Amino acid sequence: MTIRHHPEDEFLLAHASGAGSEAVSLLVGTHLALCPECRGRVGAMEQIGGALLADVAPAEMSSSALSSAMARLDDVPEESSAQASDLSPPLIAPEPLRSYIHGDIDRVRWIPVGPGVSYRPLLTRDRERVQLIRTAPGTGVGTHTHRGEELTLVLAGGFTDLTGSYRRGDLQTTTPEIVHRPVTDADGYCITLAMTDAPLKFTNPVVGLLGKVFGF
Amino acid sequence: MTKTETAPPAQLNDLIVLIAQSRDRRAFEMLFAHFAPRIKGYLIRLGTSVAAAEDLAQETMFAVWRKASLFDPARASASTWIFTVARNLRIDLLRRERRPDFDPNDPAFVPGEEPAADARMMRDDDDVNLRAALGKLSPEQAEIVQMSFFADKPHSAIAAELGLPLGTVKSRLRLAMARIRATLGSAP
Repeated sequence: MTIRHHPEDEFLLAHASGAGSEAVSLLVGTHLALCPECRGRVGAMEQIGGALLADVAPAEMSSSALSSAMARLDDVPEESSAQASDLSPPLIAPEPLRSYIHGDIDRVRWIPVGPGVSYRPLLTRDRERVQLIRTAPGTGVGTHTHRGEELTLVLAGGFTDLTGSYRRGDLQTTTPEIVHRPVTDADGYCITLAMTDAPLKFTNPVVGLLGKVFGF
Repeated sequence: MTKTETAPPAQLNDLIVLIAQSRDRRAFEMLFAHFAPRIKGYLIRLGTSVAAAEDLAQETMFAVWRKASLFDPARASASTWIFTVARNLRIDLLRRERRPDFDPNDPAFVPGEEPAADARMMRDDDDVNLRAALGKLSPEQAEIVQMSFFADKPHSAIAAELGLPLGTVKSRLRLAMARIRATLGSAP
């Protein structure tokens, strides 16, 4: 699997620094499960966090802090590495996504929104929405642009628009400047994990199937 | 617990390894003295109240004691690992949110060539290189990187606060990370 489209540094850094929302970390964390290259990038960003922690002006702890910490150390079970799961590949949904579905993709109860298109909402926080979207070969979701940013991670199949072709592991970031009309590749259903931080804006409301998905 | 029992290890990494290997309370004491005030200072810079920062620094050090066996000095320095422990606890305890992340034991996880030479910048001398790289950023780039960690807000809000277009913030960040990665010798 060769991943050609990666999250921008902004999103990797939001995940690494802890400033990112749960929705951003769900997208980024799922991409990281599939992308060793971005795990390396996040590792470097965490290293920056470590350097900032090492160099920050220390704030004195209260006089009893150490003794009360020491008093807690006894009788605490030590944590060790988690056991490997006995689930066997191939799995479509890696962790952390699988925990949100409570299983692999075959557990998803899809909600149809139009010919060849269905979705399943996973997470809504403030203005951010994360959902799974499934489109049939050759179908699309209509020409649209965005009021905010849209992150789309391919889990199965693929889609193509004017910016390129996206396959498993690829993550597309679209901004308000981009008007696109993604079309599902011919080789099967395309399943994506998509996050928006503002409703999509369809250039033609009639074909705006995803308007329903994104609360339009 | 006498203070002459074990010679103080030179490296903070070794203190965590000692805790993992022998539940060494003296090692914990030294690690606490070094890191707890820094974690507290870091959290205060993030806008956490002094009282909550003190509690969270305590909880982080307690988690370090419990999770010490998960620390791998070949992959991260002590300060980097403790940064991630504090980061996750802050999201869990203060923001009361989940922080979804990959699980290396997951059968769907795609392993890399680890530990590959390109990303192995986690040793102490690499921390020195990283500091040098941070020091060489332009003031504008350094500001964005610092705010990415300390402002606790999305980059769109950082851009608004600085009165800059989001695209400018993103490009400064991209340039800063490219310079840091180049210094660390990892993939561009």
